[in-house]
Amino acid sequence: MATTADNFAPAADTHAHDHHDHKPNFFARWFMSTNHKDIGSLYLIFAIVAGIIGGAMSGVMRMELMEPGIQYLWWFAGSSPEDISAAGHMWNVFITGHGLIMVFFMVMPAMIGGFGNWFVPLMIGAPDMAFPRMNNISFWLTVVGFLSLLFSLFVPGNSIGNGAGVGWTVYAPLSTTGAPGPAVDFAIFSLHLAGAGSILGATNFITTIFNMRAPGMTLHKMPLFVWSVLVTAFLLLLALPVLAAAITMLLTDRNFGTTFFDPAGGGDPILYQHLFWFFGHPEVYIMILPGFGMISQIIATFSRKPVFGYLGMAYAMVAIGVVGFIVWAHHMYTVGLDVNTKMYFTAATMVIAVPTGVKIFSWIATMWGGSMELKSPMVWALGFIFLFTVGGVTGVVLANGGIDDNLHDTYYVVAHFHYVLSMGAVFSLFAGFYYWFPKMSGRMHSEFLSHLHFWVFFIGVNVIFFPQHFLGMNGMPRRYPDYPEAFAFWNYISSIGYMIMAASMLIFFVNLAYAFLAGKKAANNPWGEGATTLEWTLTSPPPFHQFETLPVIEDHHDYHDHRPATA
Amino acid sequence: MRQAFDRFHFGIFAALAALLALAVPQAVIAQDAPEAVAEEAATPAEAAGGYVPMAPTPGKGMPTSYEDDPLASMTFQDQYSQDGLYALWMHDAILLPVITIISLFVLALLLYVIVKFNRRSNPNPSRTTHNTMIEVVWTVVPVIILVVIAVPSITLLARQYEEPPEDAITVKAVGYQWYWGYEYPDHDVEVISNMLTEEEAIASGEGEQFQMAVDNRMVVPAGVPIRLQTTAADVIHAFAVPSLWFKQDAVPGRLNERMLVIDEPGVYYGQCSELCGALHGYMPIAVEALPMEEFEAWVLENGGSIPGAEVAAEAETEATEEEAAA
Amino acid sequence: MAGNVNHDYHILEPDIWPLVGSFSALTFTSGMVLSFYPDLFGAASKIVIWAGLAGLIATFFMWFRNVTIEAQQGDHTPVVQLHMRYGMILFIASEVMFFVGWFWSFFDFALFPDPLAYDAAAGSTEALNVLVGGTETPKGTFIPQGMEVLDPFSLPLLNTLILLCSGTTVTWAHHALIHGDREGLKQGLWATIALGVLFSGIQAYEYGIAPFTFGGNTYSSAFYMATGFHGFHVLIGTIFLAVCLYRAYIGHFTPRQHFGFEAAAWYWHFVDVVWLFLFIAVYIWGGWGAVYH
Ligand code: HEA
Ligand code: HEA
Ligand code: CUA
Ligand SMILES: [Cu+2]
Repeated sequence: MATTADNFAPAADTHAHDHHDHKPNFFARWFMSTNHKDIGSLYLIFAIVAGIIGGAMSGVMRMELMEPGIQYLWWFAGSSPEDISAAGHMWNVFITGHGLIMVFFMVMPAMIGGFGNWFVPLMIGAPDMAFPRMNNISFWLTVVGFLSLLFSLFVPGNSIGNGAGVGWTVYAPLSTTGAPGPAVDFAIFSLHLAGAGSILGATNFITTIFNMRAPGMTLHKMPLFVWSVLVTAFLLLLALPVLAAAITMLLTDRNFGTTFFDPAGGGDPILYQHLFWFFGHPEVYIMILPGFGMISQIIATFSRKPVFGYLGMAYAMVAIGVVGFIVWAHHMYTVGLDVNTKMYFTAATMVIAVPTGVKIFSWIATMWGGSMELKSPMVWALGFIFLFTVGGVTGVVLANGGIDDNLHDTYYVVAHFHYVLSMGAVFSLFAGFYYWFPKMSGRMHSEFLSHLHFWVFFIGVNVIFFPQHFLGMNGMPRRYPDYPEAFAFWNYISSIGYMIMAASMLIFFVNLAYAFLAGKKAANNPWGEGATTLEWTLTSPPPFHQFETLPVIEDHHDYHDHRPATA
Repeated sequence: MRQAFDRFHFGIFAALAALLALAVPQAVIAQDAPEAVAEEAATPAEAAGGYVPMAPTPGKGMPTSYEDDPLASMTFQDQYSQDGLYALWMHDAILLPVITIISLFVLALLLYVIVKFNRRSNPNPSRTTHNTMIEVVWTVVPVIILVVIAVPSITLLARQYEEPPEDAITVKAVGYQWYWGYEYPDHDVEVISNMLTEEEAIASGEGEQFQMAVDNRMVVPAGVPIRLQTTAADVIHAFAVPSLWFKQDAVPGRLNERMLVIDEPGVYYGQCSELCGALHGYMPIAVEALPMEEFEAWVLENGGSIPGAEVAAEAETEATEEEAAA
Repeated sequence: MAGNVNHDYHILEPDIWPLVGSFSALTFTSGMVLSFYPDLFGAASKIVIWAGLAGLIATFFMWFRNVTIEAQQGDHTPVVQLHMRYGMILFIASEVMFFVGWFWSFFDFALFPDPLAYDAAAGSTEALNVLVGGTETPKGTFIPQGMEVLDPFSLPLLNTLILLCSGTTVTWAHHALIHGDREGLKQGLWATIALGVLFSGIQAYEYGIAPFTFGGNTYSSAFYMATGFHGFHVLIGTIFLAVCLYRAYIGHFTPRQHFGFEAAAWYWHFVDVVWLFLFIAVYIWGGWGAVYH
């Protein structure tokens, strides 16, 4: 009666063949992959492509806003300069595409799919992810989600033009009765598809981290990057399904006559906002927590000093994740909440500054007394700490419900979230990229070009986004394709900043090309004794299947050193 | 080479600090209380005995361009409501200094560790990873700072949510794709307000700006409580006037309500502040506050009636009816 | 490195189904969009939907087939089984949050009904004026005047009992399995599946006779979406159990290793619990005081 399954033979016995050295053929390797490093690479390539597209869209936006009046939008809409409706709709399509692409198809795939996939298994001493096949469908669902978003550009959004012009928040009823064309349906399904991929990815990461840590690596010995991905995965797992429900309601309101958000049937447009932001606020931490994790690894490595207050750092992220679920209505201060609700959300939101401050100061304390080396990942990390703080403190300003009455939906908000995203998240991405590029590719990039990239990018993004605080305080609303003369000067400066930033991206790609064509071979550990996590014990790039014999983290090693006893 | 790098880092960070410091003086300028200047503006109307749209005062109730006043173009518009003044004070006296100091403090610490704890000046790293004292400090101090922020913040909210008195004048702003309608249920007046085209705006005289100027303004009395209600007919819009620190979403199927008291006569501009479709950028708001008599004159001119007068008239007719019945 | 695998994890060969599944999902959702706009896209949408669905079904089939084969050939070591437990628990957790979304909207409408005062056709908010007329907040009714709702204590109560029963029969099957009683396993599963089908049948019948339709107002929207998604989950659960029954017949599952069955049982219990919440909140509490059909 008992079948073969009853004898738990190790996989090695049943799979007699040795797949260590032979990699699958090209198609099987890249389109059918079950290898976490290859899937990680796919995610990174995908994120870079999406970043270029999203960045190009913001380029069109900045050029349009360089001067008052409609300059180029009508051309993209295939219309004439006088047609401000077509131009206005085109603008909305651009910002919607830009927001969704940057959030769902650039930052999330890069941080979680890319670096998470590559380095979570390596850092915990695991041979792969827990569900290698599911890992692959997470990636491909992200790709098809992106395709669905692209489809939306070519079908009518409303009577005015093609594309979904509803903002990345897809508020009803603009996204229901206000946008009767198929473009919005494609955009909604895009989120369904990418969201399903992310939920599966989240289960995969949680399972991997809970079950596949190398012998001896307790939770409290895990590198902080792994902690950050763990918390992020929980946020994804619990927040995304609520978004899925909300956008499903959008679909049925649009197409099947339900009235969730339609006041004509007793529905409530504000309900959509509650559901969206119950997801949306955790989402912003989803976008930054893995960045926090990477910054922790990098600061420790280049200070040649173990991270300060490890437990505080780990639990600060847990606290940010938990509190992140109960502050959502700070995005809705002007919708007509009652005063007690507003007071509660004001107070709750400000609480998040405390664990975030713990992280900022612990990073500085890690460097304190250290022996810092300003290698390229480190300068990006330093830039991150400062710029994220600037973005964070403007968040605290916005957290005050009474103050937000003036700032809500102005460029001050745009400045706030680009400081935490286009600087916070993106700086951590570049920091992580330069940190791990030698490990992933086996090649060294040029330190000179990386530093140059940093400085030009740093200046560029500050010139873009710092003046936007001024515009916002002076009253410029967001999601405007055009503005009164009074806002011209700072918009002009902001657009100049874009050009500086764009130049830096050229440097980035030159650096990539250099590394692949002429870069020196990377040693196993190019960063020296500060790099104490497991991935540095492997070759660069690591073998196709690593840790076929699991590393053992011995008891007497404290959590500051994650290497096996033998290393 | 390394040294050059370090100095380079230091220089750029320092330059950035200077940039940030630029933001501080806003606290100073934005605080002077606004002067009452609109009195003369009202004169032509009086002279003609009818309503003539008030000419806007440059720099009042509208954004300021960099060319006119660099500093004013970088901060909040002057405020013309008591809540606005309080909020502005809170921002300029508490929030802005606090966030500037925190940012500069973090920057200073970063510069310090870069200089002090680099590989050259400190070749042998310490291995300190704990210091309970300092960890408690950097948890507790932010908590204290946040409490300091929370007190005026909660006060501000409480003030903003004061109930309008029973006799407050009700104005209902209704958002449409893409214009505003202003209804005065107490006065039986309704106004439709469309943006002026660029040519019209220029033609309509001094101080009117394209994308701000409208054909019919929302006219209200100055100095008395207004019960401002907002709703919308199609999608969500938002009624926003920065110089009154007022923003309230206009949501279909909902009636939001908030009290507004405008300190003095004047024209105050705003723009729709919730994405509402293609012409979201082109549905401005212009609020014209007038002394009470002029407001009432405007109401009558627009075919409305004054509620107090109406009550009196009604009482009269009732009395006559009763007499007749008797 | 010798390349000898000295661990119990399951390293997989490349697999085509994730790619096929993803593109099928895209085909399916795109077909759905096309079907929403017959004027724009004509009848082609049907083909696209079915193509996508076929791809999805093929993917599910092949995927789980492969997993079963791997289980049978011993790839699922204890640690890999533990992965699956975690995976299933987390998946159910995400499903719970999905239903949180539906319950959220249900309670929002039930507790804070908005007035049906807005005349969308005329773009008029006239009625709001009437309602407000002072400072009081307008209040609406959740269940529109004159609308009848389903009597919770007739068919829904029966369905509750059916699902509770099915919870016990699936436990019966589990116990039988643990004690090596294969016949008991089959009987328990047959009973559970039968109850599941019965539930779905009754639910479908009730939808058929319900005095209100899908759209139109918030009660019916929240009702049909919440119970409809629950019904969909019952269907999935029933298929899941049916697969287990088939596997029981062909000799899969041992008293020590039968995670496929356990996962189905967990899922079934989850669906059961969601129903209890639906029954209490939507059917009993939500319809309280309204006229029963
Ligand atoms: C990575 C993304 C990210 C991050 C990390 C944050 C972080 C924060 N955000 Fe932000 N936010 C966004 C992305 C993000 N935000 C986006 C995308 C939007 C707009 C969405 C849209 O409408 O499209 C938005 C909008 C937004 C709003 C709504 C504004 C509006 O629409 O009117 C608010 C209001 O409360 C807010 C607050 C905050 C706060 C308090 C934090 C805090 O977590 C910040 C905490 C950090 C610090 C405070 C700095 C470090 C701390 C110290 C150095 C300690 C000492 C500090 C103090 C004592 C203050 N954010
Ligand atoms: C992560 C998120 C993110 C990022 C990076 C950016 C980057 C940029 N954004 Fe965007 N933005 C949003 C998220 C983001 N934005 C959102 C959510 C909105 C709101 C949309 C809405 O209102 O609905 C918005 C809106 C928005 C507006 C307001 C539009 C309006 O309200 O009318 C503007 C205007 O200037 C703008 C400009 C820019 C510019 C110039 C950049 C530049 O910094 C762009 C430069 C490009 C990059 C920095 C990307 C480079 C990265 C890569 C190439 C990948 C690298 C990958 C690895 C290393 C692995 N953005
Ligand atoms: Cu109306 Cu934006
Ligand atoms: Cu938020």
